[in-house]
Amino acid sequence: MGRENLIYFGVIIALVIAVAAPFVASSNPDGLESAFFGVFGAKEVQGSDLDEEAAGAAEEQVQEVTGNTFSFASPFPDYSIEGMEKAGEALVIVIGTLLVLAIAFGLGRVLSRSE
Amino acid sequence: MNIVHIPDAFIPLTQAAVYWVIALIFIALSLRWARNEMKEEKVPLVAVLAAGIFAIQAVNVPIPWGTSGHMMGAALAAIVLGSPFAAIFVLTLVLIVQGVLFGDGGITVMGANIINMGVIGGFVGFYSYKGLNSAIRNPYPAAFIAGWLSLFVAALVCAVEMAIAGTFPIEIGLISMGLYHAVIGVIEGGITAVALYLIYTARPDLISDNAGVAA
Repeated sequence: MGRENLIYFGVIIALVIAVAAPFVASSNPDGLESAFFGVFGAKEVQGSDLDEEAAGAAEEQVQEVTGNTFSFASPFPDYSIEGMEKAGEALVIVIGTLLVLAIAFGLGRVLSRSE
Repeated sequence: MNIVHIPDAFIPLTQAAVYWVIALIFIALSLRWARNEMKEEKVPLVAVLAAGIFAIQAVNVPIPWGTSGHMMGAALAAIVLGSPFAAIFVLTLVLIVQGVLFGDGGITVMGANIINMGVIGGFVGFYSYKGLNSAIRNPYPAAFIAGWLSLFVAALVCAVEMAIAGTFPIEIGLISMGLYHAVIGVIEGGITAVALYLIYTARPDLISDNAGVAA
């Protein structure tokens, strides 16, 4: 396989993963979040039931513990566009993938050329 | 979609600032790596790895205990590009886009996420791969174990940070983070080994000599 072909193949794989992600990804809390819910009593460490109410309360409790109330309104919170379901998620993950590709390529070019 | 990285509320601002300072030192070192070690013809590979790692991080795979996990990608980037600083370079870009555009991972705590995933993931992944590969002379099991270990150690460091922050008690933090990420690490190790195999099979010359796949 030629060098260019490998790169194009890689980009295609990344985009296929990006489009598929919202449809195949698990909505279970991830490792850190699950541990957090365990600590704050919203979930057993080895249990699979999540107490939604306790989970919501935990997110407020932790701000009191750390005092970090910083919040930031990202343009596409939780990889979503308001009013668009899975298709919107796929779209923003594709946009993010292409953005990372462009930034890494641009920055890489500039840095690798400077001596 | 759910949170996958440390959110702002999990670490007090003063501690978050300390992590940012440490992260910035490693970011500066990774930029120096890019300027001095990264050859221009490797740039497309760096960019594709960054894009692929961004995409795969969005895929949360279900594990037992009502939990899920996703790949981190630092070990893969470090092994393929032949330096832990390559992983820091790639993961920092990925984390900035995730945090700023998607609110995935906090802004004040981004330094901690860069340390865990880029620095710890990159160094543990790279050096455990190097050591294992020279011991067993087979790059793919070495890559699997290096991927597993990179995620597991990063998760334990995260649990310690959570304990310092007062968010998790140390014991339950280490047990639950260790338990979940021991399983998630199998995904990390598996994809690291398969991706290394695919890239090496397609273009052996693209893998950094430092990675020692050919040995």
